[in-house]
Amino acid sequence: MASKDVEMKPLTLDTDVEVKDKEKEKEKETVVKLTPAQEIKANVGMIQRGVSSMEPRFAHRVLRTLTGLRKMLTAEIISQAIDENLVKDGPAAKALKCYLQDSPSSMDVDTTSSSSASKDLPEVEMYLRLLLIHYLLSTPNNDSRKSALVLAKETVGKIQALNRRTMDPIGAKIWWAYGRAYEVVEDVQLAALRPELLAAQRTAALRRDDDTQAALINLLLRNYLHYNLFSQADKFISKTNFPQSAGNPQLARNHFYLGRIKAVQLSYTQAHTQFQQAIRRAPPATTAPGFYQAVHKFFIVVELLMGEIPERQMFRHVVLEKPLKPYAEIVRAVRAGSLSQFQATLQNYTAQFTADSTLTLLSRLRQNVIKTGLRKLSLAYSRISLRDICLKLHLESEEDAEYVVGKAIRDGVIEASIVHERGWMVQKGYELEPDETTHGGRHKAGPGNAKKAALNLGGKPSQGGETLIRSQGETGFMRGYGPEVVDVFGRRITFCLQLHNESVRAMRYPLNAHRKELVSVQAALEREKELSREVMRGEHDDDDDALGDL
Amino acid sequence: MAANIKQIHAKVLKSFSTNNPGTTALLAQAKLALIEAGLLVPVGEHHEQELIYARDILEIGAFWSIRVKDVPSFDRYFSQLQTFYSDYDGAIRPSDRKYALTGLNLIRLLTQNRISDFHTILESLPPETLQDNKFIRHPVNLERWLMEGSYSKVWNAREEAPAAEYRIFVDSLMGTIRNEIASCEEAAYNSLPMKDAETLLFFHNQQDLMAFTQKRGWQPDLIRHVFTFPSKADDKTAEIPSRKIIAQALTCAKELEQIV
Repeated sequence: MASKDVEMKPLTLDTDVEVKDKEKEKEKETVVKLTPAQEIKANVGMIQRGVSSMEPRFAHRVLRTLTGLRKMLTAEIISQAIDENLVKDGPAAKALKCYLQDSPSSMDVDTTSSSSASKDLPEVEMYLRLLLIHYLLSTPNNDSRKSALVLAKETVGKIQALNRRTMDPIGAKIWWAYGRAYEVVEDVQLAALRPELLAAQRTAALRRDDDTQAALINLLLRNYLHYNLFSQADKFISKTNFPQSAGNPQLARNHFYLGRIKAVQLSYTQAHTQFQQAIRRAPPATTAPGFYQAVHKFFIVVELLMGEIPERQMFRHVVLEKPLKPYAEIVRAVRAGSLSQFQATLQNYTAQFTADSTLTLLSRLRQNVIKTGLRKLSLAYSRISLRDICLKLHLESEEDAEYVVGKAIRDGVIEASIVHERGWMVQKGYELEPDETTHGGRHKAGPGNAKKAALNLGGKPSQGGETLIRSQGETGFMRGYGPEVVDVFGRRITFCLQLHNESVRAMRYPLNAHRKELVSVQAALEREKELSREVMRGEHDDDDDALGDL
Repeated sequence: MAANIKQIHAKVLKSFSTNNPGTTALLAQAKLALIEAGLLVPVGEHHEQELIYARDILEIGAFWSIRVKDVPSFDRYFSQLQTFYSDYDGAIRPSDRKYALTGLNLIRLLTQNRISDFHTILESLPPETLQDNKFIRHPVNLERWLMEGSYSKVWNAREEAPAAEYRIFVDSLMGTIRNEIASCEEAAYNSLPMKDAETLLFFHNQQDLMAFTQKRGWQPDLIRHVFTFPSKADDKTAEIPSRKIIAQALTCAKELEQIV
């Protein structure tokens, strides 16, 4: 069941149907063992066990099957489950049943008084409610989705009134479904949900209800980002603590949202780490392709903005290949340092980039494209006139080129200097003495020719012999091990150690298990004593024998 | 109450359009009236027209602060307007001045070098306005040119400001640019002829140039007519961060101890 560990539904919506179909097929293969009704029955049993032993673990295990179960739900299965698991015709069962009927008028039945008198375990009732909400949400018709919203709202109110710690994991899921309902149902303003979520978040924080808190924080962030309210989202984050004990899916989402906020604020390094964490925490690509794709899109953009080129392998991934195609083209343009190609790609795919909300981030890449182009030029030429730079990078004037080059030098993109009098950019290490300027006598142009041809930057060395081709070896590639290496190494060690410590901490120690071990240890000690006694005796015997022999 | 607000609104509008120096005092009065009516930060239910009056007054206040070059006051007005722009979006008819003010705010952020705030605001605007709206396009272009280093374009664009209020920021923007250019030149050139420095830094007479370069510590060579730059901290001695390494090694040892 581990492959369906996580539910990542909201983001799967906007992605390839193809992958989803494959995933469904796989799901069918693995879950043939139980009929859905049986599975629900088993799950209910597990919930009861969890409540009686106060172990949240059981509830988590039940919720893990939710993704698979959700896809197989039908009205019959749910009504059967209600019949089997709740007191027959009790108020709770009745309340749920009326949502199953198609006529929306029957929903007016008074449902608030149900839980007080019933003998049903509230957790079980909530679980069935959760299933029902998911079923109603998956139906194509807007009316029943609306009734899901009503049901979710009512359920959420109940959960808050009951205030039971054993219900937290299920409660978190119901909140999530509630938020989802708001998104799916037409003609409902998502912003209207915000005050309610904020209030619930405060309550959850006070009750130290980590699961619900995690779900709510993510819902709120999602809500803010939906309206592009990045500064509000940022303030919200600074005021809240995301519970570290939250499950992987919520953590992954949180990393993703944080990464997006950081990317907008130009803290690319932080955004990069967040996205990386999100990818690591995310369920396998085939299980939640939508999330995986969305994170990778941002990941690539941020990596480009940091001046790095993403690995080619990423674009060959089965799940990623198709949706990432426009991004692959952007990467190609940036790599080539070609402004015109970059602009064309941006134009071609504007619609998709807008849908992914990466357009503004991508348009920040323009300067990176210029810098990459400059870096390429500076690698290939030891001296190049500003006019040539201007032509090759499609800049508008020589004057611009001078400023651009100057900025690149200051930012440490290239190691060079400008000779203003002659309008040159000169590689570091190739500066000529003032009286030598007529001909670069020190440098041989020979061995570099092949390299230049390979780079294929186009254009011939213009202005006579002034553009020299750089022979390799003198500059660059000379960096020794600086303090950065120590830093990186240290960071890796700390990461490994942390991983080790966390996994030790995550191990489960059943209660009183050490007693059993103690008994066996005692037995082992006894045996050892016995053995040593034997040995002693044996030794004596041996000695006797030996003596006897003598 | 509504009539009162309406009167004040009309008064402020008139005073603003005639560029009356008494507008500052009038605006203070208007704000008091708004507070009394519970409209400065709207609480509870209000009539649409009242909200629009309140918004208008605040907008005029923002423009006026720019005219009298009071940037902090502009900042306050602008944050008060945010409530009207985002929370009442759809409830009242959109303001014509919204984008002009947002553009002004963007320029202000740019001159104060608050690039990350700049981008946060850009992100919250609908994408098509970035290209189509003349008020927004101007700061967006300025930022792009600044980032890639096309300073001459920024210089030339200073006359193309879409509203008179934008000019106020131009001067401080030019100051920022000059400093940027100067720091680039320090890195990029070994020496720079004085004449060229003058054009590169957009100075029109030698005196300004001399004053500026003196501040940055450039050494003028009056015989060759070139500037030489104070040597940057080239001699970075490769220092071994011994304390840090020791600390790292010790933590590693401690952790290992725990594991074994």
